[in-house]
Amino acid sequence: MNSSLDPNIDKSIAYRSWADHKIDQPPEWSVVIPAYNESERVVPTVGAIAAHLCRSGTPWELIVADDGSTDDTVEVLNGLGLANMRVLVAEQNRGKGSAVRRGMQAASGNIVLFADADQSTPIEQFETLLKALDNGADVAIGSRSMEGAQVANKSATRKLFSHGLNILVRFGFGIPYQDTQCGFKMFTAPAARALFAHQLIDQFSFDLEILYLARKANMTVAEIPVEWIDAPGSTVDPAKVAVEFLKDMAVIRWNDIRGRYRGLTHDLSA
Amino acid sequence: MEIAIETDSPSPLVTLTGRFDSFETAQFREKMDQFADQSHEIRVHLGAVNFIDSSGLAELVRSMKRSREAGGDVVLCAPSQTVRVILELTRLDMAFTIRPDA
Repeated sequence: MNSSLDPNIDKSIAYRSWADHKIDQPPEWSVVIPAYNESERVVPTVGAIAAHLCRSGTPWELIVADDGSTDDTVEVLNGLGLANMRVLVAEQNRGKGSAVRRGMQAASGNIVLFADADQSTPIEQFETLLKALDNGADVAIGSRSMEGAQVANKSATRKLFSHGLNILVRFGFGIPYQDTQCGFKMFTAPAARALFAHQLIDQFSFDLEILYLARKANMTVAEIPVEWIDAPGSTVDPAKVAVEFLKDMAVIRWNDIRGRYRGLTHDLSA
Repeated sequence: MEIAIETDSPSPLVTLTGRFDSFETAQFREKMDQFADQSHEIRVHLGAVNFIDSSGLAELVRSMKRSREAGGDVVLCAPSQTVRVILELTRLDMAFTIRPDA
């Protein structure tokens, strides 16, 4: 794995080549962006990710997993004509978890990152998470709550909900991470294959299920403080999410009791 | 985002540093509006802008239109690679005058 950017690469030429020519080898990295009605926000994010990752000289692909958008997100993205970007179209809106799962399962890189469409966690944090995988982690998760995280513009309401949910998750659910919901998570390919094959939750709390499964499979999860900006235009409704989250905690437990996650450990070692 | 202004030449230089999103458009507009009725160019240095979203782009377009109406122009100088790619993907590179340096 290459966790640093190559200073000898001409940034413009590298981007132009990536934009115009399909890479002639399997990608080392895949980046997945879930997108629901993101026609206004997603193009600058695609640009920022492409400009940054092309500097590495590492072959990579971008996958945007549409979630049944009713605006022109898909048309706008297809109109960009980027050779190494795929747009996965969904007929129906099923939830962020569904979009991320489709994207992760379509990814062919050895390392797979999913990142929000609003660039709320800047792509410059990519290398920080990659280093954690270089050091042996199976999963690296961005954290807005750990010491060292730089969080900007987060509303007081959102802070309160995040804090309350985190207490529930840590003490009621036994998941020891300070932030389960940051939309910036990186996986080795075997970990992604195993986890997303068993993910059953389609909505916002799929992150929690993925981390529950990672613990169940004894994967090494590194929580890494990141920079995070509460991007304008967020569609997250804290109250609705909190209720859904509580319900899904019970659903995950029930799924486990019923044996619906059986086979996870086997898949990882396969 | 930080905004620095140099007015010691006929063409003012507005240097932006950081992330240009809708949280920043009000202060950018306020700074730019002081030059809006002048008939010469305003240089906006984008070399240290690490991200610009659609609100930031819209604000640049607004400033450019207003300046052109007054007989001037907004010239984008030394955009970072990220900004350059975003301008290209949104096809705004065709709308602005862009210079490789200030």
